[in-house]
Amino acid sequence: MLATDKNVKYTTHKRVRMIKDNIFLFLVGSLTLITIIPLFHIIISIVVKGLPIIIKNGTTFVFGTLSEGGIGPAIAGTLMLTFLATLIGLPLAFLAGAYSYEYPNSFIGRTTKMLLQIMLEFPTILVGTFIMGILVIPMGSFSALAGAIALALILTPYVSVYTEEAMAEIPRIYKEGGYALGCTRAQVIFKVITKMAKKGILTGILIGMAKVSGETAPLLFTAGGLYEVYPTNPLQPVGAIPLLIYTLVQSPSIEDHQIAWGAALVMLIIFLALFIPIRYALKDEIKL
Amino acid sequence: MESIKMETNNLNLWYGDKQALYDINLPVYKNKITALIGPSGCGKSTFLRCLNRLNDLITTVKIDGNVMLDGRNIYDEDVDVYDLRKRVGMVFQKPNPFAMSIYDNITFGPKIHGIKNKTELDKIVKWALKKAALWDEVKDELNKNALSLSGGQQQRLCIARTIAVKPEVILMDEPTSALDPISTLKIEDLMAELAKDYTIVVVTHNMQQASRISDYTGFFLMGKLIEFDKTEKIFLEPAHKETEDYISGRFG
Repeated sequence: MLATDKNVKYTTHKRVRMIKDNIFLFLVGSLTLITIIPLFHIIISIVVKGLPIIIKNGTTFVFGTLSEGGIGPAIAGTLMLTFLATLIGLPLAFLAGAYSYEYPNSFIGRTTKMLLQIMLEFPTILVGTFIMGILVIPMGSFSALAGAIALALILTPYVSVYTEEAMAEIPRIYKEGGYALGCTRAQVIFKVITKMAKKGILTGILIGMAKVSGETAPLLFTAGGLYEVYPTNPLQPVGAIPLLIYTLVQSPSIEDHQIAWGAALVMLIIFLALFIPIRYALKDEIKL
Repeated sequence: MESIKMETNNLNLWYGDKQALYDINLPVYKNKITALIGPSGCGKSTFLRCLNRLNDLITTVKIDGNVMLDGRNIYDEDVDVYDLRKRVGMVFQKPNPFAMSIYDNITFGPKIHGIKNKTELDKIVKWALKKAALWDEVKDELNKNALSLSGGQQQRLCIARTIAVKPEVILMDEPTSALDPISTLKIEDLMAELAKDYTIVVVTHNMQQASRISDYTGFFLMGKLIEFDKTEKIFLEPAHKETEDYISGRFG
C-alpha cells in the first residue's frame, strides 16, 4: 500500500519535471530565435535591396568607377587596406600573443595581456583620430598607409588574443616533448607550439581581417576616399567600401542609395568569404 | 664490469617550501635498464626529470646536490642544457607526437640540431623507425599525420623521435601506463632491444614490468630512495621491510 503511494507521488513529480523542462526549452528556443531574427533581417534586406542594382549595372558595378555606376576603386581600396593592415599588424600581433603566452606571470606579460583585452574593446574612432594626429597631419594628406596603420591597430588584439589562447590550449606535454629533444625556448614556441596552434592562430587572423574589412570609423580621418580612379600608391588617399557607404547614404540622391545597398552586399560577401573558412577550419580541428 | 653512466649525489629537491626529494644517491649503469618504482607521489617522476633538467621549466623548483653524467655535474653553470637534453632523451607517460607527419616528427630533433641534408634525414627516419619497431607498419605512409596513429604506435613513434637525435641515455616516465597490454608488451620488448645501445631509466607503476625488464631497481617512498639494488635482489630478498611490503602488494 505504502509503496503504491510512493509510486504515485513519483509519477506526479516526474510529470511536473517534464513540463518544467519543456517550458524551459521553449523559452530558450524562442529567445534564441528573437536574437537571430535581426541578423537574418539584415542579410535579407541587403540582398533584396542590393542585388537589383548589381544585376542592373553588371560587371560595371564591380569594376567601374563611381561616375560609371560602380564601386571598383572602393573594392580595390578595401582589399588594399585589409592586406596592408594585415601585413603591418600580423607580425607584431603574433609576437605579442606568443610573448604573453610564454611569460604569463611576468609583469610585461600580464600587462600586455590586459592591454590587448582593452584594445579589443577600444572605441575605433579614437584609433582614427590618433593616427590622424601622428601621421595624416605631419604627412599633409590622407593615405592608404595611414588607414592601414589604423586598421592594423584594430586587427592586432584579435590576432594576439587568439594566438595566446590557441597556444595556451596546447597540452603541456607537447612543450615538454620539444624541450626533451633539446629545443631552445624560441624553438619550442615557433616550431612546436605555433605549428600545433596554427588553426586557432589562423582563426584569429581571419576574424581580425573580417573585422577590419568592415570598419568605417578608423578610416574617416585617415584614408580620405578615392572612387573615380583605382588606388596605386599607398601614400595617396584610398577609398573603402564601408567608407563609401557612409558617404553615399548621406547623399539625397536615390541612385546613390541604390549603389550603397549594392556596396553593402559586396561587403557582406567579402565578410562571409573571410568568415566561412573560419568555420571550416574549426570543424576539422584534430582533437588532442 | 658495469660502468656508471649517470649518478646522483645527495640530490635534494623542493617545490617552493615543500621538499620532494631527500638525499638521493642513485647510480645508473651503462647499457642497463634501471627501474624506479614506488607509490604515487613518492618522487620517482620528479627524480627522473632531474636527470635531463626538465624540472628547470618549473620556476618554483629548487635543487641541491649533483647529478653526474660521465663524471660531469649537469647542474654546473657552464653546461649547455639543450645539448644535455640531446644526450639524455625522454619518453613521456602519454604519447606526445607533434601534430605533423610521421616523417617530420622523426626529423624534428635532427633538424633542430643542425642536420639539413635530405638523404641523411631519410636515413635517420628509416633507422629510427626500424629501431623502434614501427617501420613495417608505417613505411608506406610517412606523410600521414602522426596523431592518426594508434596509442601504441604513437608511443613507439615518440621513442623513434627520441633516438633520432642519438641520445646516450633514455628516460621513460611510465611509458606504457596509457597503453593496452599488447602495445605494452611491444614497448617492453623494444626496451630490452634498446638497452643494447642505450642506458635506460624507466619509472613504472607496474611491478611485474619492473621485474620483467629491468636490471636494477630503485624503490622510492615519500621522497626517499629506500632501496637500490639488482632487480632480482629487490624482488626476491629485499633488505627493507617497506620494500617488501610494497612489492608484495601490501600497500601502494
